[in-house]
Amino acid sequence: MSPIPGHGLAKGLAVTLRTMTRRTVTQQYPETLPELPPRSRGVIGLFEENCTVCMLCARECPDWCIYIDSHKETTPAAAPGGRERSRNVLDRFAIDFSLCMYCGICIEVCPFDALFWSPEFEYAETDIRELTHERDTLREWMWTVPPPPALDPAAEEPKELAAARKSVDKLAAEARVAVQAPPAPAAQPASAAQPAKGATAATDANTKDATDPKDATAAKDATEPKDDKGPKDDKGGERP
Amino acid sequence: MTQTTVGIGGAAEGTDMVLNIGPQHPSTHGVLRLRLVLDGERISSAEPVIGYMHRGAEKLFEARDYRQIIMLANRHDWLSAFSNELGVVLAVERMLGMEVPERAVWTRTLLAELNRALNHLMFLGSYPLELGGMTPVFHAFREREELQTVMEEISGGRMHYMFNRVGGLKEDMPAGWTGRARQAVAAVRGRMDVFDKLVLGNEIFRARTRGVGVLDRRTVHAYGVSGPVARACGTDFDLRRDEPYLAYGELADVLKVVTREEGDCLARFECLLEQTHNALDLADACLDRLAELPPGPVNQRLPKVLKAPEGATYAWTENPLGVNGYYLVSKGEKTPYRLKLRSASFNNVQVLTELLPGTLVADMVAILGSLFFVVGDVDK
Repeated sequence: MSPIPGHGLAKGLAVTLRTMTRRTVTQQYPETLPELPPRSRGVIGLFEENCTVCMLCARECPDWCIYIDSHKETTPAAAPGGRERSRNVLDRFAIDFSLCMYCGICIEVCPFDALFWSPEFEYAETDIRELTHERDTLREWMWTVPPPPALDPAAEEPKELAAARKSVDKLAAEARVAVQAPPAPAAQPASAAQPAKGATAATDANTKDATDPKDATAAKDATEPKDDKGPKDDKGGERP
Repeated sequence: MTQTTVGIGGAAEGTDMVLNIGPQHPSTHGVLRLRLVLDGERISSAEPVIGYMHRGAEKLFEARDYRQIIMLANRHDWLSAFSNELGVVLAVERMLGMEVPERAVWTRTLLAELNRALNHLMFLGSYPLELGGMTPVFHAFREREELQTVMEEISGGRMHYMFNRVGGLKEDMPAGWTGRARQAVAAVRGRMDVFDKLVLGNEIFRARTRGVGVLDRRTVHAYGVSGPVARACGTDFDLRRDEPYLAYGELADVLKVVTREEGDCLARFECLLEQTHNALDLADACLDRLAELPPGPVNQRLPKVLKAPEGATYAWTENPLGVNGYYLVSKGEKTPYRLKLRSASFNNVQVLTELLPGTLVADMVAILGSLFFVVGDVDK
């Protein structure tokens, strides 16, 4: 290598000196918290209002660390002559984080958007049994779930946006047809149909000014069973 | 097996001693156990005792659907999770005859190369540590952190990315990610001279590695050694060039297969180091190409129950540590009938029986560290 003895030592010290002049990269963890990206897989939050106890997450989990208990509740028919409806009520939802492998399959398979990743990571325990977290803790973690990041400009539209756009386009097309055609005599006011159509129609509120009799009656039907049930049941109705 | 011959006066004959290295030894990166028979300071025979971390991955694969297999597969070699996932999805895609969107192919190539740099940086740091140099590991982990941040932003995981899916990737990259990835690659490349000069140029490091643990090409072929360890002995074999998968076929002008002739510990380290540089260059080339690609999807709509058609295929990839292969046999079910895993470290570790006899105990750690293995990949 080099003829001068101690040359390597000098080189090493030069690196030391150079490093000394730079800012440290060490994070003083408990004082400064790390900035984690929104996709970071820290802990799983449960939005239990959306859960319909379909058990897909528990079934698809590769190491079966999700425990779900539920019972069926029957609500009597709202109108005389109607049929009674039964729905699943969640009794227990627990994830054993000592078994969880943080793969995210449960979140991916959930058809009702009840499970989410949160970058929260400070839930270490001294006893392994305390790592089984029940629904109340999982619900609390929902508050730490960040919105998903915007995608690359070259990326395909997220499917939620694509679906919303599709329904908006469809409604706009229908409205255009209704404007061209003479309005039907038995048309109901459009305002009655608006609140029942949910989030996708709400974005469309200003485009949909014409009245379409078929659409309005369909929307009115949808409002009827809504009076004694929460939003959860509304979601359950569209179960595949 | 212990044969103790007590010589008259203790000088007429040597006394063999059996020495166990591991299963809990810092230089074995896990729970590898070496059973050495020593004749004084010299190793007369060595036997790697493996299986302390056997988790039955292959058997578990048989009871998991393909998405769950991705999760299991990225864990056997925890330093190259992305490349491990890749083999599984490539095998299933081939069975299905599935065409992967171009954006996904290039993103996969990019992430595979970032993963390769991450893996190599680990060994670039830990190998000098085993030889007594404390500093390089801190530099290595700093660079790893830089790349891991980028990987975490896109996939959500720092080690187990779980980002591949059959037909593409889990989701597209976040806005501005390519810029941050480019910055991270540039930052890491800018500081790589720590390894080029400080580590590789270190007299003590060179003295402890040059001419130590020389592996010849015939042994490499006999034991199926692959990856940088094999290339350091002059075996010019790299699946990225010789059987291109992903987008490597189009990266031929950037891809450089690093080889050395010496076959000693130093040559293995040099191969690893140069390959890290090349991985960063490849990552840049992928980023350039991704910027030119037309907008499009990164995955495909899959059926609710994904079943590979009846048949068999063998998908092998050039993982950071060597050739990683999956032999997939399907009977048309949603789980594979058999998924054989050929891991690089398993073969690379076996060569210790040939490599260690005749060397000194003091060189044992230098040789062991230079084989760049992950015990999880050995024990599966």
